[in-house]
Amino acid sequence: MIPIEYYLVLGAILFAIGAYGAMTKSNAIVVLMCIELMLNAANINFVAFGAFTTDIMGQVFVIMSISVAAAEVAVGIAILLNAYKMRKTTELDDEQLRTLRW
Amino acid sequence: MDIPILSLLIVVPLIGAIATLFMGGEKQKYAKVVAGVFSAITLVLALLVLFADDMGALAESYAWIQTSAIAISFTLAVDGLSVLMVFLTALLVLLVVILSAEEEDRPNYFHALLLAMEVGLMGVYMAADYFLFYVMWEVTLIPMYFMISWYGGPRRHYAAIKFFIYTHVASLVMLIGIFAMAFEAAQITGTGVVDFAFSVINPAIAGASEMFQVLVFALLFFGFAVKMPVVPFHTWLPDAHTEAPTGGSVLLAGVMLKMGSYGIIRICLEALPLGAEYWQWVVIAIALLSIVYGAYGCIAQTDLKKMVAFSSISHMGMVMLGIGCLSEAGVTFAIFQMFAHGLITAILFMVCGMTGHKVGTREIPLLGGLAGRMPMYALFMMIGFMASLGLPGLVGFWGEFPVIFAFYEFVIANDALWLILFCLLSLMLTAGYYLWAMQRTLFGPETTKIDLTHAHDVSKTEGIALAVLVVLVAFFGVWPDAALSFIEPYVSALANMGVVI
Amino acid sequence: MFIEYTWLVPLVPMICFLLIGLIGRKTPEKGGYFAIAGALISFVIAALISYEYLTGDTYPNPVVESIQWFVIPGSTDFVINLGYYVDGLTCLMMLFASFISTLIFIYSIGYMGDQGERKNRYYAEVSLFLTGMLGLVVSSNFLEMFIFWEVMGLCSYLLIGFWSFRHPEGDAASANAASAAKKAFLVTRLGDVCLMAGLFILLGEFHSLDYSTLFDPANIAAVDSDMLTLAMFLIFGGVIGKSAQFPLHDWLPDAMAGPTTVSSLIHAATMVKAGVYLVARGYPLFIQNAEVMLFVGVIGGVTAFIAATMALNNMNIKKVLAYSTISQLGYMILALGAGGYLVALGMGMEGAEGAALITAGSAGMVAGCFHMMNHAFFKALLFMCSGSVIHAVGTEDMREMGGLGKHMKITSLTMLIGSLSIAGFPFFSGFWSKDLVLEIAMEAGHDGTVWFTVMWILAIITAFMTAFYMFRMWFMTFMGEEGHATQHCHGESPKTMTFPLIVLAVLAFGSGFLILFGLDAMVSFTVTPDAFIVGGGEAGGFHHFEHIFTSPYTYLTIVLALVGIGIAYLMYAKKTMNPGAFNKDGESWLYKALTKRWWFPDLYNQISWKLGYGVARGVNFIDRQIVDGTVNGLSGAVVGGGDALSKVQSGHVQDYSSIVLLGISVISVLFIVIAKVMGGI
Repeated sequence: MIPIEYYLVLGAILFAIGAYGAMTKSNAIVVLMCIELMLNAANINFVAFGAFTTDIMGQVFVIMSISVAAAEVAVGIAILLNAYKMRKTTELDDEQLRTLRW
Repeated sequence: MDIPILSLLIVVPLIGAIATLFMGGEKQKYAKVVAGVFSAITLVLALLVLFADDMGALAESYAWIQTSAIAISFTLAVDGLSVLMVFLTALLVLLVVILSAEEEDRPNYFHALLLAMEVGLMGVYMAADYFLFYVMWEVTLIPMYFMISWYGGPRRHYAAIKFFIYTHVASLVMLIGIFAMAFEAAQITGTGVVDFAFSVINPAIAGASEMFQVLVFALLFFGFAVKMPVVPFHTWLPDAHTEAPTGGSVLLAGVMLKMGSYGIIRICLEALPLGAEYWQWVVIAIALLSIVYGAYGCIAQTDLKKMVAFSSISHMGMVMLGIGCLSEAGVTFAIFQMFAHGLITAILFMVCGMTGHKVGTREIPLLGGLAGRMPMYALFMMIGFMASLGLPGLVGFWGEFPVIFAFYEFVIANDALWLILFCLLSLMLTAGYYLWAMQRTLFGPETTKIDLTHAHDVSKTEGIALAVLVVLVAFFGVWPDAALSFIEPYVSALANMGVVI
Repeated sequence: MFIEYTWLVPLVPMICFLLIGLIGRKTPEKGGYFAIAGALISFVIAALISYEYLTGDTYPNPVVESIQWFVIPGSTDFVINLGYYVDGLTCLMMLFASFISTLIFIYSIGYMGDQGERKNRYYAEVSLFLTGMLGLVVSSNFLEMFIFWEVMGLCSYLLIGFWSFRHPEGDAASANAASAAKKAFLVTRLGDVCLMAGLFILLGEFHSLDYSTLFDPANIAAVDSDMLTLAMFLIFGGVIGKSAQFPLHDWLPDAMAGPTTVSSLIHAATMVKAGVYLVARGYPLFIQNAEVMLFVGVIGGVTAFIAATMALNNMNIKKVLAYSTISQLGYMILALGAGGYLVALGMGMEGAEGAALITAGSAGMVAGCFHMMNHAFFKALLFMCSGSVIHAVGTEDMREMGGLGKHMKITSLTMLIGSLSIAGFPFFSGFWSKDLVLEIAMEAGHDGTVWFTVMWILAIITAFMTAFYMFRMWFMTFMGEEGHATQHCHGESPKTMTFPLIVLAVLAFGSGFLILFGLDAMVSFTVTPDAFIVGGGEAGGFHHFEHIFTSPYTYLTIVLALVGIGIAYLMYAKKTMNPGAFNKDGESWLYKALTKRWWFPDLYNQISWKLGYGVARGVNFIDRQIVDGTVNGLSGAVVGGGDALSKVQSGHVQDYSSIVLLGISVISVLFIVIAKVMGGI
């Protein structure tokens, strides 16, 4: 059996990559993708701990999390698309998008 | 009498303020009439109080916020100390309304602010509950802030914010002191109810430890000293006066500064006599510093109004000196000086404020020889200056001579006779800066640095306001007993309490 | 029956002041007739009071009536009263003050006739002034006196500055008047502040300022004598200011910027006498310490001398008179000081020797008051004559006059009488009183200290200089060849002006004879164990006559006066003697020192600029930079700190999330560390 540390390390690496991307990338789509990465890192941890403790709740939460993530991406992409339609860019640092801010 | 006359003193101007506030648009030219009527009614009420047979019987008390833990009441009372200030407030507000009859810029707001200020001032001078006192104290602040920032000069925003924050910080410190007193009193009485009434706290605090009194005195004194103001907490005053409109300056110097000295006597002396004794030398040092520093400050000023503002610091230092003597004579004439300074400084600010819109500038080096073109203006200015420099026969002298005499008695008793030299120096300096200012503005060759073709003399309404003050200045100068007869019973009551010797 | 109306004496001019101020503008002469009527009524009342008092039963005890004015509370209350105090000195003062005022107001109708609307202000101010003077004289306590003292100071300020704006001679003259008025007020204010300090001490020691309490020997004995001495020094400070004594004398010459009538009334005949009056009034207190009296006498003598030197080479007719006023005031103060010194010495001795000294010393009071009255007449006369001249020729510079005697007969004659009087020509009024002054100074030198001998020598030299400069003035003005201003002369002044001149000339000649008819009894000073009494002494009568003309020193002064007149005649009328020969044509050091008034104006300026404006500039700098700087710095620090912190709010979600992540990481690490340390996990 693969020891649980391997899963946790994978999750941690995935999370770190996601966090790095979410904080540094300027393209909104990439940021969204990175957020997905972080979510998935959490999912891996869920599944791993679920299997490790033979608790079904882990997998239940993963399903839950994936569906929430899907909804979130849908909303996020929708906002981005609208923003793109109006300002012709998805660059977060771009003046066009920054002025959306209140 | 069944009419709640003290409450009316607050309610009438309040109604007036609300009424004038909503007189926008077409109706705004009647705002001054409405304000005049309401302030005249207030003055009549104040006179009724002044000539009441038994002032103590006028006291009123209504429950305001009463829970099982705290008791705040709407308690009003007058005595010899407050009644003069109430009269002065009512008088000056009416005179400012008369003086400002030609105010063109949003007169409804202007008059509403004046009356709102009157509400606060009346409240401060009549409150017999610490919480009410504090609330009213803050109420005066807001109209003054708007008065400066809406109707002021070019640097009005700076001045208004400086005024507001400076005095507000001071009053927060004072609030801490008030809370400390209220909670300490609740602990001493052991009722478990934090009652803010003077009648509950003052007797209780008398039993508090000296350390407590000393600390709380310092907190409250700071709050009041900034308002008075004394050196080194004075810098908001010249700025506020330079920028404030004439009417605002008159009220600010005439009655608002007196809130500080009133608070020191009413609270610091009445409730915290041990603290007063502990800090006596500090109070005197600050007073002497203010007197001399203020006088020197005047000499260097080039703006007439700023000069008068500095002279207020010097003269309020005289009030502080009288209080600091902690003797019957000192406190009596400190109160008299408060009253006298209120009358005189009103003349000074009216005249100096006028200079700005009559000849276009208040800068002394640009003026000269105005007496030829504006004789009435010159006459009033001279009477004001002469009264302020303590010419005997006018009211200012009776604020100065006996206070310095009280201080003389104090220094003799303490073997520090040389301290009197500061007072004498200030008398010399005061004469110096006023005469020098007169020489450069009223006399000498007529100035060519500014265009005087549109300069006009004091108008009829302004003349009435000034003449009333001049008559009072002369009346109380010849017959100081008219005011002293109110003060003396109050101070002898203080003496019976052992607050002053 | 009249004495109880003494309060009317100052009140009548006060009412006139109000009337002139309120309705004077609409009356002929802009209220001038009110002023004359007021002064005249005051004079009549004063005369009735004096007659009743001097012939009454209470004489020489003072008549005092007062009401309580107000109270300064204390362990023992300090009661301040308001009332009147009538004794011989009061009568003398109020009589000559109201009489001269009446004459000068009449004169003003002519002199100020061309001033238009300004006359209203003039008459109001002089009426107020008269209130001050008469109030000062009848006051029953020091504080009340001080109030009138300052009212006079105010009027003096206003009247010196009468032309301080829109001067008929242009801007420079208005600036000069404005500056002179300020100087007069401030310099006298310095004295007044001293006086006020003296009053604090008296009030503190006696718990009252009433003359009747203060002059009671029992009360005086009860107080701290050191404090009393200090108080009298300080009160004399007030005298130095008001009566223009050295070193505060320099305002008086500048005060000549006012109308000549004002110089005549205020700066010669009445107000400047207030200081002398104060010394005479406070005699019971002043004589408690001989040192004080020595100081008074020395100041008087030095003033008389210094002022006379400055008159020697002045070209301005009014300034010569101003210096001579200071000089004569010095004489009065010297007389009071010398006499008081002897009295003070006498009070310290027992028996007949002490009594003799006191008797000798009380002549000082007589001499001082007598000279005060005579000087009031002849100096008012001289000033009004100079006013008449100025009115006619339109200049004050004597070099432009000359030869006016032909054009202005009355003026020149009356002025000659005044000049003879002040020079001490025998039988003229100045002769009598000046001789008494010199005599008392010499006596004080003889029986007291050598200082008074020095003062006597100064006074003798002054007498010579007085004769010289007065006649220099008279010859330069009325004799010799006609100056170019004389050629435009309007001729003799109108009757309203010459009438007072003639009346005063009669008095300037004759008032000295009053001493032979009992005037000395009216202002004599008697010390008894339980009172100090002014008036009621034994009248010397013709004894004075005999005494004066048997003394060799009298002839010395007469000779000196004649020599002075003679030199002036040779220099300025006959012109056989060239004044330039004595001063290297104006180049000598002494001449320059005199022109620069011994550098007193420079000294005043230096002091006021350094101590006043210099310090003020420093204070202002501290105020702006340090005190207000701290306030602004504090608020700046708060605002700046807020600004700095607000930079964190960049608006980037990514920045925020980074910070959140960082925070979480730090917290997690901390948790683990803490857990490890605590020994958990």
